[in-house]
Parts: sequence; structure tokens; C-alpha cells
Amino acid sequence: MLHVAEDSMANVIEVAGLTKRFGSLTAVDDVSFSVERGAIFGLLGKNGAGKTTTVEILEGYQSPDQGRVQVLGVDPKKGGGAWKDRIGLVLQDSDFDPLHTVTETVKLFAGFFSHPRSVAETLELVGLSDKASTRIGRLSGGQRRRVDVALGIIGSPELLFLDEPTTGFDPSARREFWTMLEGLRSAGTSILLTTHYMEEAQHLCDRIAILAAGRIVAEGTSTSLIALAGATTLRFSVVDGLDVGTLSREAGIEFNVQGEVASATLANAQAELLRLLQYVERAGIELVDFEVVRPTLDDVFLDVTGDPA
Amino acid sequence: MRFIRLTLRQAEYDLVAYMRSARTVIFGVLMPVGFLALFNSVFGGKFKTIPVDGHNISTIAFYTGGLTTYGVMLGTFTGILVAIVGAREAGWLKRFRGTPMPAGVFLAGEILYLFVTSLALNIVMIAVSIFGYHLSLPAHAYVAIFCYTVLGVFSFSAMGLALTRVITTSEMAGSVGPFTVVILSFVSGVFLAPNLLPQWLLNFSTYLPLEPIVSGMQHAIALPGGSGLELRPFIVLGIWGVVSFVIAQMNFTWEPQRR
Repeated sequence: MLHVAEDSMANVIEVAGLTKRFGSLTAVDDVSFSVERGAIFGLLGKNGAGKTTTVEILEGYQSPDQGRVQVLGVDPKKGGGAWKDRIGLVLQDSDFDPLHTVTETVKLFAGFFSHPRSVAETLELVGLSDKASTRIGRLSGGQRRRVDVALGIIGSPELLFLDEPTTGFDPSARREFWTMLEGLRSAGTSILLTTHYMEEAQHLCDRIAILAAGRIVAEGTSTSLIALAGATTLRFSVVDGLDVGTLSREAGIEFNVQGEVASATLANAQAELLRLLQYVERAGIELVDFEVVRPTLDDVFLDVTGDPA
Repeated sequence: MRFIRLTLRQAEYDLVAYMRSARTVIFGVLMPVGFLALFNSVFGGKFKTIPVDGHNISTIAFYTGGLTTYGVMLGTFTGILVAIVGAREAGWLKRFRGTPMPAGVFLAGEILYLFVTSLALNIVMIAVSIFGYHLSLPAHAYVAIFCYTVLGVFSFSAMGLALTRVITTSEMAGSVGPFTVVILSFVSGVFLAPNLLPQWLLNFSTYLPLEPIVSGMQHAIALPGGSGLELRPFIVLGIWGVVSFVIAQMNFTWEPQRR
């Protein structure tokens, strides 16, 4: 895959031909992508797909065996204090001293950066304002993860790395977290996110790359990726007296009946649905359990990796 | 300037945890003080003086010097081992590495914090001996105690650092540290009068990193005249410290070792 950047200044991350081996295992295999300034970029993949290795190379923790990596215009392995000052990290797992309060911990980190956010604003952003003086040992797992995120954004970074940030969150905490990231994006922060939650990537990411066994197997916007997975599906139950054959003739749709369920793949969804619904309206038929389903990123993931997420 | 400011903050952060942890307060302060009272009541009545390295010194001076040094080593050697291994395995060191914090700040802050707590232990132990056991110290003793504390904190923390690569869990660090210190204390004139030990063990212990500073402290507290400072502890502990520091420098890692 060859990527030519139209305007490299607009990209906060440039990766070309990145390869990393551990013994005989090629963890990252000829990976190339770029992340535009101000965007949320998602790296998707199962455990062991190479997400964390890729991110750790971008963060400067690991060296690539081959390829070229530029983060904010700098080779991460040579990135010094001034470079780190512009970057925020949320690693996959890190633990804290349980004896310190949230504020004490966030304050310690604020001191490392030249233009930190205020502690109050940071805690507000991650939704920990009411836990400011609680000791970390008394927080729930999800709340600790938010402390982690607070430490990632305290330096008001231009670029934020988030390695599976919402693992262990309940659904409502995850929603809040997404809102927070969208807020950071509108404030101009670029974000690279790894996740194995398809819904998260679909909701948040401007661009997505799907990794499988160290390679990028698909890349694009979530809409363009979903288009890859094909057409809209229609389903309803076959109840007593329903003549699927007539339905098929009148609507011009080929149905596939399996047991009690009839389904069809719609190539031209709008016209086909219109014909079907006009006919059932005229004939006074009521379709039971009728649904029209667009493919999701899950389907794309299944298609390109051959595995469920 | 920034380095100093960040080091002070780090030390303060560590001190906050020290004050909040029952374990560090019990092992760091209450245990040495408790031992002082215990050993003094057991042996203080039987022996007026104890011979140390050619000088007869009072029993309370013997135990004050020995147990204070024991406390400093326990706190520093174990403290740095537990702190570094714990922080590393929790991913905390790795996280620091990803910030613009200068590399030496974490360590400098840790050592400064250990120095402050060691100094505090010295003050408590001396105060208990003076007010509880009528120990009278020559004026030069205070300067000597301060210098020995600086030496001890440097050397013991370097020794702890040198072991951080082979010790991979904080549980292991928490047992190896105190075990080493207690064994060394038995052969270095902390708990037992040196004349109870066989000569070969006594000779051997003078090359180990605890005996020289223990006898130095005991002399400084008990003997009038001179500066109260001896050269031997600085040579022996200096070598232990520098060698340990070089080993630590070669082996140090920010990455968790057990993941």
C-alpha cells in the first residue's frame, strides 16, 4: 500500500512500511497510514492484531525494525522533552498509588508540562470533579481509567494516544467518554485510538484502519468501510397464510426463506422497499417482525478478518 | 531550576504516601523505637558498657547508634526497592517516561524523600534516648550523625537500586529488603554486642555495608573528643554505594518485567 500525502503538514502522524518482529513473529507487517490534524483515527483489531505494538512505536516506547514513522514531524525514538510536551498518553494498563487523591496525582503530572490545563478543568472534562479529593484506592475501575485519561490530557496535548481507553466501562460511562473525546476534537486535539469495540470506532472515528495479524486489511471512513460490507438487508417473519411467492413477484425481490424468517439483500433499497410496501398496503397484508438492517462495522470486521470481533 | 522544583514535588508526593501508610510508619519509626526500648531493657541492666571496635561505650549509646542505622537501612534499602519495583510493575515508570519529566526526577525525588524520613527517624531516636534514657551526646555527634545519614541514604539506596532488575514483584521486594537488613544487623553489632560473635564473622562483617557505619555512629554518639567522624565507613560504604550505582545504571529499566 503506497500513501502519498497531499500536505504532510496537515498530518500529525505519518507511518510508511512499518514492520516490527518479535523473534519469528511479525507483530506489525508493512503498515502504512496517516492521521490528519484534528481528526480521531481508530486502529481496530482483535487482541494480538498489532494495535498496541503500533501505538507503542508511535509513542517512542519501541523501535521499528523497518519503515518510517513521524509523529508531529519527529521520529518518536528521537523525541525529547519538547516533543513529549505536545503529546498525551493513555497506556493500555497502568496502576496508581492508591494512597494519593485524584487531585494530588493529576497535579503531580501537571508539573511536568509547560502549558498544562488547570486541574479543575481536567477533572471536569473526564467527569471526576466530585471525586477530586477521593483517594485513588477508593475509586472504581472505570473511575481509575478516567484518572488515566486525566493524566493523558493534563498537558493540553496536540495529539492524544488512547490505547483501549474504555475497556471496563459500563455503557453510560462509555457514552460520556465519547462525548468528552468529541469535545477534545472540537478543541483541536488530534486523537489516535485503539479499540476492539466496533460501535466505538463507528461512533467516534473520522477514519478507521482495521488490523489483522499485523497488517492493515481495510482502511477508510466508517461509511466507506460499511459500503464495502455490501447492501442493506430486509427481514420479516413468515406467518401462517403469507404467500412469499406472490410477495416476491409483486415487489420484484428475491426472498430467501429459512424456517420462519424471510430475508433479502437489497441492491437498490429505496425502490425495492417502496414497491414492497405499496403492495402490502394494497393487499392489506401485515408483515410481522419487519426490519430493514444496514450493515455495521461488525459485519465489515467479520468480512475482512474472517472472525467476529 | 525546573529539575529541582520537580524533584521537590516528587519527594513531597512520596512523603504524603509515607504519612498515609500504616506499614511505613510502623516499620520505619515505631519498630526501631520499640527495639530501642526492648533491647535496652533486656541488656541495659546487665551490661554497663559494650566494647565496639576497641572502645567501651554505654549500652544506650550502643543501641541508639545501631538501631538508628538499622532503621535508616531498613527504610532506605527496602523503601527504594519496593518503590521502584512497585512503580515499574504498575506501569507507573513507563508512564513517567512518556511525559516531559526529566529522567532523573523520579529517582532524585525518591532519594530526597528517603533522606527526609531517615533524618526524621534520627531525630526521633536521639530524642527518645536523651529524654527517655538520659543519653548525653557530645556536640560534634550531631554533625557526625547528619553526615552518616547522608552516607547511609546514598549507599543503601544505591544498593536497593542495583537489585531492582532481579526483583520483579513488590511482594518480593518487600521481603528481600527486610530479610537482608535483619541478617546484616545480627552480624554488624546492631542487636548483639560484637564480642558475642566469632572473630572470623566479626572480621567479615567489616567488609559488609552495615558494620562500618554502625560502629561509626556508636563512636560518634559515645566518645568525646575528635570530630566524631571516621574514615572507614566512608570508604567501605562509598565503595558499596558507587559499585551498586554503576550496576543500577547498567540494568535500570522503565518497562514492567512481568507482563
